[in-house]
Amino acid sequence: MNILIVEDEALLALELQSELEEAGHHVTGHAMSMGEAVALAEARRPDFAFVDIHLRDGPTGIEVGRILARDNIPFVFVTGNLKRIPEDFAGAIEKPYSQNGLHNALAYISALLRHADWRVHHDPGRAPPGLVPAPACIRA
Amino acid sequence: MSEDSHRDGAERAGRALLDSHVSEDPFAAAFKATRMPMIITDPRQEDNPIIFSNRAFSELTGYSQDELIGRNCRLLQGPDTDPAAVERIREAIRQELPVSQDILNYRKDGSTFWNALFISPVRNDQGDVIYFFASQLDFSGIRHREAELASARQAAEETVLRQTTDLRAALEAKTMLVHEVDHRVKNNLLTIASLIRMQARISTNRTVKDTLKSVLDRVEAMGMVHRKLFTMDDVARFDVGEFARELVVDVVSALRRDDIRITMDISPVLVPANRASPLALIVNELVGDAVRRGLKDGGGLIHVQVRRLNGHFIISVSDTVEPVPVDPEEQQFGRLILETCAKQVGATIEREERGVETTVLVTLPVGNIAEGSQS
Repeated sequence: MNILIVEDEALLALELQSELEEAGHHVTGHAMSMGEAVALAEARRPDFAFVDIHLRDGPTGIEVGRILARDNIPFVFVTGNLKRIPEDFAGAIEKPYSQNGLHNALAYISALLRHADWRVHHDPGRAPPGLVPAPACIRA
Repeated sequence: MSEDSHRDGAERAGRALLDSHVSEDPFAAAFKATRMPMIITDPRQEDNPIIFSNRAFSELTGYSQDELIGRNCRLLQGPDTDPAAVERIREAIRQELPVSQDILNYRKDGSTFWNALFISPVRNDQGDVIYFFASQLDFSGIRHREAELASARQAAEETVLRQTTDLRAALEAKTMLVHEVDHRVKNNLLTIASLIRMQARISTNRTVKDTLKSVLDRVEAMGMVHRKLFTMDDVARFDVGEFARELVVDVVSALRRDDIRITMDISPVLVPANRASPLALIVNELVGDAVRRGLKDGGGLIHVQVRRLNGHFIISVSDTVEPVPVDPEEQQFGRLILETCAKQVGATIEREERGVETTVLVTLPVGNIAEGSQS
């Protein structure tokens, strides 16, 4: 998958990128603010995105999520504060995630997105424990 | 009728009233001498004038008896007298009914007093109203105290409101601070883990990689403790059962083997937050030990138990694996963590090996973690 990372901590973004590449994915861009995220999402049209909620310009990750959803780009939040996520919005990988937790979440997500009609195949009950499902989970 | 003739009529009526009583009439004497201000009016004369007033009434109002006779009671009214109160009195007199009314009245010098006025009609044998009798009670003092009480109460309410607002602001600031610290701790724990992962990734030395992976494993367990602590609404409690369930599923799934079977017998066991780390590390060591001794190499069975049993709290991990040689230093490190954490919470460790099945049972009296624990 072509993946966009939206994360204002450069070290965390770098490590996440390594993990994704090791798992055979391509990181198509790294944004640290809402403006960068929106510009990269439009320019690169990623297949998927990891979105931190607290970005360089404040808690703007939620808004990034809304724009991605509008543009039909599936994503999950990556955040230390699940309570910030509006109900019925997207699923999340909670910080600090473990390597195992991330691998399992990624495996679930990439298996799911192989289906064009992935929403039908999504089952929050079968999602790995590292992926905290919202009712709509990794929604677009 | 002129002012003078009006007063003459009233005086005559007053005298007639007095004359009907002998001079030693105790009622008349009482009327004159009482400290209760009183007047009598004659409704049969035009404009219902005062025909008699006592000394107490003059003392209250500042008007002499001469100034009062022939005048209507409205001379006590002033700009701030409530017209509705006046109207109620007027209506009662028109209907010849007794009336009790608090009213703001004015003295001759223009000062005011609160008057608890009571008026009652006096009837003759034929039932006609021949007089109105009115008594007054100056309750300005009471009104004043009421006002003082009301103002004191208002001041108290304002103080409470102000302090509540301050407390609420302080609580909000504190909540924000907790969230900020929580956010920092989580980011820092993830940053520490990321640094270790990066170095492990860069390193080409197998031993270095394994060592860093070993450290990472424990750091991540600590991270998971913190994550679980703040996910619960009650940040003072930690559910060891929930932690064990997530840990074993995460660890085993990440091995990507379909020849591993997990079984669990897990109940919620809530412990105080300060016991979370040692208990979580115990679970982590037990699961990690099973993985190292063969689960990751040849698959097998793993059974995890977290529950209360006979007044004890038990954590037990059984595995059935084809044993593989384990790095002795890694094994030593794992045992050291397990034993040290067990010592901290006052737990005993029993290890039983039967063929390819190994069971490690950690038992601690519920009393050791009793505060806040439940099954």
